[in-house]
Amino acid sequence: MSASLAASAGALRADSISKAFGGLKVFHDVSFTLPPAGLLGVIGPNGAGKTTMINIMSGRLPLSSGQVLLGDTRIDGRPVYANADQGLVRSFQQTATFAGSSVEDNLIAALRFAKRDRSVLERLAPLLDRFGLIECWGRHAEVLPYGLQKMLGLTMALATQPKMLLLDEPAAGLEKSERANIDAYVGFAQREFGCGILLVEHDMDLIRRLCPQVIVLDGGRLIAAGPPGEVLSRKDVIDAYLGGADEEDADAQHS
Amino acid sequence: MSNQASIRRLPQARRPALLGGYEWATLGLVGFAFAVPVLTRNPQILSQTNLILIAATAALGVYIMLRMDLMSFAVPAFMAIGGYTVAVLSLKLGVTDVILLGVAAFVMPALCAVPLGWLILRLKGVYFVLVTFVLTEIVQLLLFEATPLTGGSNGLVGMPAVTLFGIELMDNSQVLLTTAGLAFAGFTITALFTRYFRYEFTAIEKNDVLAESLGLACWRYKALAFSVAAGVSGLAGFALVNMLLTAHPTSFAPMSSVSYITYTIVGGKGAILGTLAGAALLVTATDLFALKGELSPGLFGLLIIVVTLVARGGVIGLAAKAAGRLRRASPAAPARVAPIAAVPARGVKS
Repeated sequence: MSASLAASAGALRADSISKAFGGLKVFHDVSFTLPPAGLLGVIGPNGAGKTTMINIMSGRLPLSSGQVLLGDTRIDGRPVYANADQGLVRSFQQTATFAGSSVEDNLIAALRFAKRDRSVLERLAPLLDRFGLIECWGRHAEVLPYGLQKMLGLTMALATQPKMLLLDEPAAGLEKSERANIDAYVGFAQREFGCGILLVEHDMDLIRRLCPQVIVLDGGRLIAAGPPGEVLSRKDVIDAYLGGADEEDADAQHS
Repeated sequence: MSNQASIRRLPQARRPALLGGYEWATLGLVGFAFAVPVLTRNPQILSQTNLILIAATAALGVYIMLRMDLMSFAVPAFMAIGGYTVAVLSLKLGVTDVILLGVAAFVMPALCAVPLGWLILRLKGVYFVLVTFVLTEIVQLLLFEATPLTGGSNGLVGMPAVTLFGIELMDNSQVLLTTAGLAFAGFTITALFTRYFRYEFTAIEKNDVLAESLGLACWRYKALAFSVAAGVSGLAGFALVNMLLTAHPTSFAPMSSVSYITYTIVGGKGAILGTLAGAALLVTATDLFALKGELSPGLFGLLIIVVTLVARGGVIGLAAKAAGRLRRASPAAPARVAPIAAVPARGVKS
């Protein structure tokens, strides 16, 4: 699927991007393409440069070399809000909401900043209902349980009606039972809004369930790309990563 | 949950009024100042009301910037620009119409704030605070040095009385009317401005990184707010020059910025009423305890420390908390409002 759509307009393309903080190379010469309405998983051990990559693609950090393109437009190094206007919106690994404002006001703020009207909320109603956010409509965001805060942040990103969503570990910190919400969210975003999604995640089951294609980062290099079944059985990927993933799962079960 | 046949509908959209209860109460109180000269001729009360209104209007510049969690020491700088603009216009060009002068006192500082804001709003936290303080020092220096325009250490004196539709506003009570008009304009502009952009300002205050990622160009709103805060400060500068009948550098001393910050924080930075309450309380207290002069900045500093440690919402925050407690204690109160009413100064954020 990605091969045929790769060249079409509106794709998000990283073109041999590199990033170094002083002498520290965070990643080096990474290229990939996320087709419009496509879904690409990004995995890699802690410190592989995944969050830095999202920071760069959204415009928060400048590149050291290479370029990021959305359609034909070069977007790296532009202000974050300008990229959001173009339909490139990211979510955050930690909870990200406006404390002191109600769930409703948080969503209204997202609509306002993206210049959308309230009809978008009506379209999001099934999702809001599923997450249990409608019951909390008038409550302040910071008093919600962690999982709900996380889903609120994700829903706010979706309320801007992005063309491309960059999701930074959406399942991190969620209980196993809550992770199905991420499946529902990703499915809904693709089906109802036609979003392309870059999914950075540590949860291997989630990646296997959702992503037709994944790329693997390790030590700042792209070491593998392909369907998850194939990639995750490769010896170098297992060596680089899956040991870490097992620990991660064990940690998640203890918490 | 997911396989329910019917999806729960969204609650009906609230259409909150532009101005909330705090704004109306504040505008009512400021508007009441117009009646003071009618009710009394007591010069002590007239001058006290005058001082309170000028202090409160000046402190609005602090209030506006605190909406975005930016602490500004620049108020005296923009007051000076407003005040000297008026003095120069009336002395050199013979403009006395109070409305024209008021517009000039707002527009001139607001325009000056645009390039300054562009320079300093990329700074955050303590760096912003520091640079606004330095800015006030620089303006102070310029007032002393640019003698041909500002009169240097002599200041500018001998301005003709301001006029409204050709009528001179000269005596004590008429000076208070001018101040009340300028204060009312300042409070109205601030109330409308902070409420109209409340989502933007709250977002920038709480999480500017998230706001940007949703598409908000934060710097534009910061620059706009800096400019409007400068304009409102300029109105206060006009009122001060008009009351003292002189424009002098010492009226805009850098240390006076501490007082304006104290009014806003002690009164309660969560609502515009706090700025008025803080100014009224502290100006009265300063007068009662004869704290004029060198002592008050130190005591105000101490007061800020106490308030930030003990009651972060200030006087208004404490009052809102007490009101919420009373409402919950009274059996007539419907239970559903209790958990929301318990949060101080909610009216501003929603």
